[in-house]
Amino acid sequence: MNAPDVQARLRAARGGRLTRGFATTILAVRMMLFDKAKFIGTVLGVVFAVVLANQQLGILFGLLQKNTMLVDNAGADLWIVPPNTTSAAPGQRMSTQLLYQAQQTPGIARASALVMAGTSIAKPGGGSEAITLIGVDLETMLGGPWNIVAGDRANLRHVDTLFFEDAQRDKFGGINLWSVREVGGYRVRVGGFTWGLQPFGPPYTFASLDTARTLVGMPTDQLNFVLVTLAPGADRAAVIAALRTAIPTADVISREDFHSLIVRNLLKDQLGVSFGTSTSFGLIIGFIIVALSMFSSVIDNLREFGTLKAIGLTNLDLTRMLMVQSVLYAAIGSLIGLGLVGFMAAGISSANLAVIVPHWLVLLTPCVMTGLCMLASLLALRRVRKLEPGMVFR
Amino acid sequence: MSATNTAGAIDPSATLAVRARGVRKVFGSGALAYEALRGVDFDVAQGEFMMLVGPSGSGKTTLLSILGCVLTATAGEVSLFGERIDTRKERDLPLIRRALVGFVFQGHNLIASLSAVDNVRLVLEARGTPRRQSRAEAEELLARVGLADKRWNRPGELSGGQRQRVAIARAVAGAPPLVLADEPTAALDAHAGLEATELLLEVCRERGSTVVVVTHDNRIYHLADRIVHIEDGHIIDAPQETP
Repeated sequence: MNAPDVQARLRAARGGRLTRGFATTILAVRMMLFDKAKFIGTVLGVVFAVVLANQQLGILFGLLQKNTMLVDNAGADLWIVPPNTTSAAPGQRMSTQLLYQAQQTPGIARASALVMAGTSIAKPGGGSEAITLIGVDLETMLGGPWNIVAGDRANLRHVDTLFFEDAQRDKFGGINLWSVREVGGYRVRVGGFTWGLQPFGPPYTFASLDTARTLVGMPTDQLNFVLVTLAPGADRAAVIAALRTAIPTADVISREDFHSLIVRNLLKDQLGVSFGTSTSFGLIIGFIIVALSMFSSVIDNLREFGTLKAIGLTNLDLTRMLMVQSVLYAAIGSLIGLGLVGFMAAGISSANLAVIVPHWLVLLTPCVMTGLCMLASLLALRRVRKLEPGMVFR
Repeated sequence: MSATNTAGAIDPSATLAVRARGVRKVFGSGALAYEALRGVDFDVAQGEFMMLVGPSGSGKTTLLSILGCVLTATAGEVSLFGERIDTRKERDLPLIRRALVGFVFQGHNLIASLSAVDNVRLVLEARGTPRRQSRAEAEELLARVGLADKRWNRPGELSGGQRQRVAIARAVAGAPPLVLADEPTAALDAHAGLEATELLLEVCRERGSTVVVVTHDNRIYHLADRIVHIEDGHIIDAPQETP
């Protein structure tokens, strides 16, 4: 062999990156699957992280949805709310003057009052259950009810008729359509049922504005919120600005902004810390399991990695092998984990507790887990990169 | 035919596969420093089947590691087929290993998760041989070492002798011009050890590869074209100077 032959061999060995890349990818998969116990252990680590994180986030999104559903489903484009309001819940009352001022503002199609107050329903055997009574304008029906599972909205036109939460029928003493009960000391009839309308607090119960005011003892010149829909083609920002000028004593907020305000407030003060902690805990535990498992796999196969280096594989080749394994662990673990979350969500979701795993979370999970597994493989990677190929002769 | 004889001398006109001059290797530093090679001059002619022998700790495996580019010398010059490797950066060494060197390790060092044929293919594909071609070549090599019927077995399903045959097939895959074998008989009984070394000699001769075998197994000495003794980091049978 002379110098040109040597150069030719060096040139040939320098090429073939694609073939080498493919070969090392297959090798990575086979090495990963060979030690079945370690493979299963690592996948379970990812599954654990996926299930815990998604389940916690699913419950969090469910709780947030419970607290924003009135805003999302009321049918209003804009809300006129008491100053410093951070949630769509019973609270400060405002004058009906605001409603009239809103109705006269250009760009508005409809403006309706909404009454919202806490009261209770008496049970036949004694005792009572708290409810959140929502009085809606029957002309516009802004504010509900929605998710109706029995009865007709028109039933609310009867002066003493209410819509109750279907999931609470037993709790309210076994109510059925046209059952008679007592709310706020007044005799009422059950005109229909909604499903799943249970915020953090007592379940929503719907009545006409007049009935609601009567049941909670609210004067007719008071309301809690004004719900506004925009006229077709109206400039939302201009209408908001006009309403703020006309009604300086209240806040005017779009549906989207009100939704965000509620979510922000809940995450900042209440739910964020507890769910953030448990979600992070799941991810951290998963990270540790994957990191330790991959590291121990490398330690167990140190001689094999040394051999691979000796036969000419580069640190880049070995890095690619570990990255391929990371991606596969993440993909398999995410797939199984998301499947389990789906089953769990279907199993535990109820009118009281919604587990919402949005599409974006399903798509984001494998990406996050891939990043997490790659990060977890860094410890193993460091060991592999520092490995001297000469160790194969020792 | 090789350019040498077992008496130890190398033909001065022979083309060299390996040329080492003044090679030193020091492990550790300060008071803990240990000099494994103390200025080794060493030549191997192309096509030669050479054995490097010496007692434990004499530096033979260190020298083999330096020739195989898996260890760098502290000082001295080392060339493989005229290509200086001591001046190369560490990141270039995998390329030289892929291009020029095949290894037979003491403990076979096969990849446990791969079948015999895939162990051989891996080396070929690491050198860029296309997958279809690598499979045909690997199967042919395994047939050559008498393991055609065991080609889909994993190392754990093979005997020690069979594993060493796979290791030999892997070492000569792609016909590397230099094959380095570290104690190839250490894990085998006398018969299997002799058989494996004979096989290594045959397949390397067929491919024109130069072979350096590190061993202290005197039952295989008779197979060598030349035997070089190393002791305490020095070559005892110094090579003749080549122009």
